Amino acid sequence: MKKKALLVSPAMFILIAFAVVPLFIMLYFSFISDGGVPGFTLENYARFFSKPLYLALTWKTIKMSALVTLISILVGYPMAYIIAKIIKSGREILLLLIIIPFWSSQLVRAYSWMNLLRDGGILQDFLAKLHLFKGGELGILFTQTAVIIGLVHIFCPYMIITSYMTLEKIDDSVLEASKSLGANPITTFLRVILPMSKAGIVTGAILIFVPCLGSFVEPRILGGVNGSVIGTVIQDQFFEIYGWNFGAAIAFILLAMVLVSMGVMSAVNRRGEENG
Amino acid sequence: MKRKILNCAAVGLLLVSLLFGTAACGSSGQQPSAGGNGSTQGSADKPTLVVVNWKDYGSDNPEAVQKFESENNCKIVHEYMASEEELLTKLRTGGVGKLDVVLPNPQILPTAIKEGLLEELDTSKLSNYPNVYDKFKKLPESSMGGKTYAVPWVWGSTGIAYNTKLIKEDINSVNVLWDQKYKGFIGFRDDFNDAVMTAAIALGQDPNNPSDLNAIKNKLKEQKPLNKTYWKTGDEWSKFFANEQITVGLMWSGQSASMKKAGQPIKYVVPKEGAIGWVDYWAVVKNAPHKDLAVKFVDYMISEGFQKDWVSKGGPAPVNKVVADSLSEDFKKDAGITEDILNRLYFISYHDEEVKKAWNELWQEVKAE
Repeated sequence: MKKKALLVSPAMFILIAFAVVPLFIMLYFSFISDGGVPGFTLENYARFFSKPLYLALTWKTIKMSALVTLISILVGYPMAYIIAKIIKSGREILLLLIIIPFWSSQLVRAYSWMNLLRDGGILQDFLAKLHLFKGGELGILFTQTAVIIGLVHIFCPYMIITSYMTLEKIDDSVLEASKSLGANPITTFLRVILPMSKAGIVTGAILIFVPCLGSFVEPRILGGVNGSVIGTVIQDQFFEIYGWNFGAAIAFILLAMVLVSMGVMSAVNRRGEENG
Repeated sequence: MKRKILNCAAVGLLLVSLLFGTAACGSSGQQPSAGGNGSTQGSADKPTLVVVNWKDYGSDNPEAVQKFESENNCKIVHEYMASEEELLTKLRTGGVGKLDVVLPNPQILPTAIKEGLLEELDTSKLSNYPNVYDKFKKLPESSMGGKTYAVPWVWGSTGIAYNTKLIKEDINSVNVLWDQKYKGFIGFRDDFNDAVMTAAIALGQDPNNPSDLNAIKNKLKEQKPLNKTYWKTGDEWSKFFANEQITVGLMWSGQSASMKKAGQPIKYVVPKEGAIGWVDYWAVVKNAPHKDLAVKFVDYMISEGFQKDWVSKGGPAPVNKVVADSLSEDFKKDAGITEDILNRLYFISYHDEEVKKAWNELWQEVKAE
């Protein structure tokens, strides 16, 4: 037991020094007045709930993040299944290709999407060559669609990797057993594969949904005049008017929402495990 | 059981770090670094003047630094700031008595003067001060109680720029930003100051003390659907303009001039209703270690030699009238720095935290709708 504690301590130290302590500093800031009035105050939190603007943007951000998560599942899970169960060789190369985009900055990728999606851009040219596009404007850039595309591109690999990890662990003999017991492929998928790989989907969904809530780069660059999300409001607080205290309060409200939704998700997950 | 708790804690921490990892983008850090290195190094007995400015913003040009160093037998060291707030923090936390010359803008000047962070200036010791446009000397932020604390250095404006290849009419009004004709091709700026002040100009309100914020909000909401997008960085504007995605919009005088120089069909105008103006100031820090040298440096910064050199290299508009007069009319028109324009500008003045907060929230509401 002692040995274990010793082994864990460097990681714990890093977490405490660089995540927990800063978090509490932020928490402290969120209870201080922006106007420089000394003492404890709830005004930052009150401000968030007193204006419809902030709640509306939060709701918009939650919907956006849920959509990104859903699309990532629909795209990422089949991809992971193909890599884990169908192809026999070249898995490493495929996984590497999925990871490679992580090596370039999020900002660069957002700007690249801008060039791809803009009117008269690469996508429009491509579609025109295929005779799928007939004049006018493409009209994708500076819409919510462009933001979703950008975010799915950033976050989908998380879903592929977490799903792959659970799918790969499923023993092929289990699938054969299912088949020999008379299950058709759909039944095998729904009653064997899906329950056994659910943990991967849930982990991936969490890894996507949470950072999506705080995203601001893609909405700002790709979203045009309607690109505002709660992340851009927080960013403006910190970098435009030095409203650190209000910015910290918004971040904590968001965090509280995340923790609650996580609690719900893990409860659902546990019940699923018990039933299965 | 214990393990489960530990696992939960680890997952929780991971989530927290993810959330904040994406919410907090790194602002570019900056470190103090020597400007104009080389020839003057290794002479410890020379006085070292510490200057705080933006990186690559005129005063740290190696040639300019070297000239001052050799003329005054000293060494200049630059420290860089990432924001005006940071400069204020620097002055408050140990900068007084250590730094010599700094570049505060009107947003922090009144605070810095009030808190006694800056040295009063005897303008009679500045040989080039008489050549500075009176308009700048009269702006309220550089002085307090009849005493001068800061010297204007360079200026510019945020007006309207448009594509002369695609727009044939002569634009001279800010109302072009509300013109249905250009729907889908307008680029407004994503900045609460620019937004509020521009709408105030269009509505005929005082841009620095708008009387009716509600009218401004509605005016901005009315403008919103006409845009291609809100641009944030100068680089974004350049790209959209070059791709002809944006053909008209809010733009800076300096960038328009350099884009025109690069061959873009761009024209910059200060609308007849006026435009937003800005000025940068030099100030000497309270108890500066080398006060006389600091004053000499400020004098050098507004001298004909320095100002002429910088503007010819693409710098912002000079405050020195002699230099301005020596520039060709065409150049001044392109760059939006004629005296006629100067008189039509509303220079951004000091706004306290409450005003900034209100303006920012107004802008967030417009954007969120």
